[in-house]
Amino acid sequence: MQKMLFEDIYKTYWQKVFRICMGYVNDSNWAKDIAQDTFITVLQKLDTFRNEAQIGTWIFRIAVNNCLRQIEKTNRLPKTALTDNFVEPESINLEEKVILLYRFITELKEIDRIIISLELEDVKQAEIANIIGISEANVRVKIHRIKEILTLKFKENG
Amino acid sequence: MDSNIDFKNIWQQQNISQPNIEEILNKLKEYKNSSLRKLIIANILLITTSGFIIFIWYYYQPQFISTKVGIVLIIFAMVVYLFVYNKQFSIFKKIDNTLTISKYLQNLSALKRKQKFMQTTMIRVYFIMLSTGLGLYMYEYASRMTPLWAILAYAITFIWIGFNWFYITPATIKTQQLKLNEIIYKFKTINEQLEEKSHK
Repeated sequence: MQKMLFEDIYKTYWQKVFRICMGYVNDSNWAKDIAQDTFITVLQKLDTFRNEAQIGTWIFRIAVNNCLRQIEKTNRLPKTALTDNFVEPESINLEEKVILLYRFITELKEIDRIIISLELEDVKQAEIANIIGISEANVRVKIHRIKEILTLKFKENG
Repeated sequence: MDSNIDFKNIWQQQNISQPNIEEILNKLKEYKNSSLRKLIIANILLITTSGFIIFIWYYYQPQFISTKVGIVLIIFAMVVYLFVYNKQFSIFKKIDNTLTISKYLQNLSALKRKQKFMQTTMIRVYFIMLSTGLGLYMYEYASRMTPLWAILAYAITFIWIGFNWFYITPATIKTQQLKLNEIIYKFKTINEQLEEKSHK
């Protein structure tokens, strides 16, 4: 019964969680690792989930906390500088804009990376506030500012 | 300035093939096994050593009280070390990653500070007990040697302890401290990002 439920969750949320991790590290193998770890936690803790939040909020919290935890792995640094001349096989078919967007996001501050990733994943601002633990108003202003920065970066890069 | 770039659309083009669910299940099993293995190895190693020392006590029947105190100190040092090691292991497992980011960060920083304490203070306590224990333990056997050999035995032992105390331990502590400080600092800056009020 519970395994069935996990399979559904896994199908529904895999790409979303992967993209959020990707926005944080901009390295598909690394992001895949973090996403897998996230689902391991989901699997381990699913029976403690009590509907006090939406399941999506709960999963995203685990995902972003796992992203933050990457700080401990100092031997694995984000390779933002490398993305210019390094295109991973999975990224070859993606438009250049996608590569640029993820690179620009990874250049942001940690919390901003997480906020914009969740916003682009269509998570409601109230939920984002709930995931991070700041006020909704604060989230709104931050999103606005981050979008300005990203637009500016896109313009600078033609 | 309003953005007319459709970020959401670009963002959602990033996809990766979904790994088979079995992969997740296997990873979970692997993860459980490897952390358990580490814990078991550390425990077995120290328990065997303690067992060996107790065996010596039983087999050679030391006469001096100093020898017995020495043995007790050495075993106690190892028990303390094991206790701290096991405790650290359980704290790691207890960190709840379903909390909000700000709570999670607080818990992580607290954990790192605890780790820092364990790695600095506890390693020194462990060392002091171990060296004192060894010094006491040796006394009975040294007292049966000629003075020259006794001095030599103590000299070699204490040179070795001194080398550890003044060279190896500080170096180990220093690298661990650097790493932990870096992590604590990083958590602090992220926390500041949370508290940062929007300027506009």
